[in-house]
Amino acid sequence: MSTRVLGKSVPKKDAATKVRGSRKFPQDFDMDGQLHAKVVWSEYAHARVLKIDTAQAEALPGVVKVITAGDVPVNEYGIIIPDQPVLVGERDKVRGLGDRIVIVVAESEKVAEEARRLVQVEYEPLPVVSDPREAMKPDAPLVHDELGDSNVFRHIKIRKGDWEKGFAEADVVVESYYATPYVEHVYMQPDAGIGYIDDQDRVTVISSAQWPDHDLRQIAPMLDLPKEQIREIVPAIGGAFGGREDMHVQHLLALCAYCVRRPVKMVFDRSEVMITTGKRHPWYVKYRTGATNDGKLTAVEIEIISESGGYASTSAPVIEAGTSFSAGPYVVPNAKVDAYAVYTNNAVTMAMRGFGTTQSAFIYEMQMSKLAEALDMDPVELRMKNLFRDGSIGLTGHAMPQGVGIRETLRESAVAAGWKEKQGHWIRPDLGPASAPHKQRGIAVACGLKNVGYSFGSDDRATVGVELALDYSGEIERVTVLSGACDVGMGVQTVLAQMAAEALGVEYKQVRVSMVDTAKVPDSGSCSASRMVWISGNALLGACQEALGKRDEILMAETGETLVRAEHQFRGLSVRETTPYDLETGMSVPHFSYGYASQIALVEVDTETGETEILKFWAAQDVGKAVHPEMVRGQSAGGVHMGVGYALTEEYIQQEGMAKTTHLSDYCIPTVMDMPREFFSITVEVPDPTGPFGAKGVGEMTTLPTAPAIISAIHDAVGVWIDEFPATAERVWWAMQKK
Amino acid sequence: MPTLSMILNGQEVTVEVEPGDLLANVLRDKLGLIGTKISCGEGECGSCTVLVDGLSVASCIYPALKAEGREVTTIEGMARDGELHPIQQAFVDATAPQCGYCIPGMIMSAKALLDENPRPTREEIKEGISGNLCRCTGYYQIIEAIELAAERMAGKGGAA
Repeated sequence: MSTRVLGKSVPKKDAATKVRGSRKFPQDFDMDGQLHAKVVWSEYAHARVLKIDTAQAEALPGVVKVITAGDVPVNEYGIIIPDQPVLVGERDKVRGLGDRIVIVVAESEKVAEEARRLVQVEYEPLPVVSDPREAMKPDAPLVHDELGDSNVFRHIKIRKGDWEKGFAEADVVVESYYATPYVEHVYMQPDAGIGYIDDQDRVTVISSAQWPDHDLRQIAPMLDLPKEQIREIVPAIGGAFGGREDMHVQHLLALCAYCVRRPVKMVFDRSEVMITTGKRHPWYVKYRTGATNDGKLTAVEIEIISESGGYASTSAPVIEAGTSFSAGPYVVPNAKVDAYAVYTNNAVTMAMRGFGTTQSAFIYEMQMSKLAEALDMDPVELRMKNLFRDGSIGLTGHAMPQGVGIRETLRESAVAAGWKEKQGHWIRPDLGPASAPHKQRGIAVACGLKNVGYSFGSDDRATVGVELALDYSGEIERVTVLSGACDVGMGVQTVLAQMAAEALGVEYKQVRVSMVDTAKVPDSGSCSASRMVWISGNALLGACQEALGKRDEILMAETGETLVRAEHQFRGLSVRETTPYDLETGMSVPHFSYGYASQIALVEVDTETGETEILKFWAAQDVGKAVHPEMVRGQSAGGVHMGVGYALTEEYIQQEGMAKTTHLSDYCIPTVMDMPREFFSITVEVPDPTGPFGAKGVGEMTTLPTAPAIISAIHDAVGVWIDEFPATAERVWWAMQKK
Repeated sequence: MPTLSMILNGQEVTVEVEPGDLLANVLRDKLGLIGTKISCGEGECGSCTVLVDGLSVASCIYPALKAEGREVTTIEGMARDGELHPIQQAFVDATAPQCGYCIPGMIMSAKALLDENPRPTREEIKEGISGNLCRCTGYYQIIEAIELAAERMAGKGGAA
């Protein structure tokens, strides 16, 4: 097979229009006769709505419609279970600041804004459930009184081997309590879009999305219409990171268009995005790890409490995924794990880069860093003694499939950072002097792994089509890839074009990837779970093969046809039968495929201020096959960016359910000055036999090790463990005072 | 309604505005120049960066009427006769854009920097874009794109 395109950093399909500023994002669309909509949000974290008075708003000139709960045909939605009201009506409860009461639709944005201020809502405040640990107590107020007598809605148990015996065999036991923060995705493009009725009477939405077909599956029952009568068009998406897997504007725009039958535009401002959209789950974790003096892990005991906010969203699968990796990429013979997903009245939590495995990477890697110290063993060496290989038995009793590249990522990053391997022992590099007398240097390593594709028996599938335009002699002139794979920025459309060019033997520039429009392209599933390259790539290769077969038939039959179309569905279960957690033991075959990463941080901590600067950072990722090496490097750097913010600066603060960090001036993502001064991305290719051209996923893995690497490096520098992060200057400084 | 007259991307433009209108909204909503992006709405993120008399400003907090009589350059004013500006071309070649929402603002900040300092050091480039937030890239390929553009515009390394 030729390699003219694969593995080459060709210009991204969307790059030229993005640098011109001509590529349209959802807020860049306008339609003739369009109206503007604004949402009246809940003012309380937990309250009963007593009265909604819309009279003044309706009387305002230019107001076309004030939409209330009674206008929604079926007033519920949700990505997995429909537990969220679209609009909260009188006598119903609000369960968080993301709940909506009313949508006003007006002739101009200005009038809509004025009208929403005129809507008067009376509430009866209810006790706010603001801590999941309190929420688990038997007498805690219930967030969902209708769902039973507990705020806990998912409990996962893993019982593997004999953990008591495992701890008895341990020479060293490390015990910790961790708290991970609420964080916001901060995709740069605020949620926005237009809803309208198209020329075939379909309720149509132009919006950012990660899985448009699944949006249709939620919008159709809400409007009590068949799915075929709903359409979603996804133009350029300004980032997502899991945050657009749930709907934020799509269902609201569909509802507006349905109610007024005119185009309706809605644009959130940054505060609306900050306050009302989902966040990363905070975890509260008790963790014990046992090991022998020679560094072999003997047992873990873990309790995870994962905060869900007011609605289920994807919290159950997030904790399922996170828990399955809670012992890391390490062989642990004995384990007892309990994980709970709990409702509160804080912000709803949902998918975010890593999908629960980011929190688990923090806890298991902090344990490994502490264990290395307790054993007086080099942290690379300790990890090497326990890391998975092909066929290793994982936490849920499954054998790791072929293609485990975690050791290669650790070796490559450690060697690049100056570690030396001598007779089976690893020796850390000399860090050199700090830049000032009041500064101290530290270095640390962390590893991470994550599933590719949906897990635990999910029938995850993708369908991709190709169209070949042939010349008179049957040569392929042009190729169009038809896929519902949303390019949230990572470049999946470029990768699909590269793979199509490779599989069909044409030039990259001959391949076009069509825009995502549910009326025109097949369902490729969600742009999540680091799955698109793997699953849509496999579907694409199937479609290319079928298309070439059809072309050969046409040539044989000499029909003179010049257009060949083929579509192929790829099912993850066809390569590996995954299974759900066993209810009592947690045993399962959890995932189809995996991706791996190891990272090393060299930091300097200012002992007078507690401030951390990252001097150098090595990020190694095993992607199976780097289809586009520069985009892999971009994923690596972007994942590290998100991890730097997670480790050092980002914290979405709430008090009794009320949001305190509602702007980008008080919720601080890293600027260019906050990033590591020197960054080294190392791409490792250990092929996955189930992946297209051996490729795995990469998008999420690159953020997993970052926070534990940085925070362990802070310990290496100044001797304090920051188990409740972000490790802000204040936190580090106070920890140093208490030492 | 007051009118605003300015030299926009080399052309004289007059448009009716309200006294409270911000430049970003006038550019986007009244003049159809959608390349200028709004993200934070408080001058914190740099997505809305445009040049006013050659200096970079956050147009989402810049009163439109302040631009009266001034030269305003937006991302749409960068390409000439359809040809990408060397900074834009370097962003493509360095695989700098991911989602691309911050990219017009980044390019305008890079333009302001390179107009002032054609051969900046890496530290100067970082300072030049320190007011521009990006959530996708980690900034490295953006820095490299600006280095590449500076090199090409100085006539070294060719224009390929």
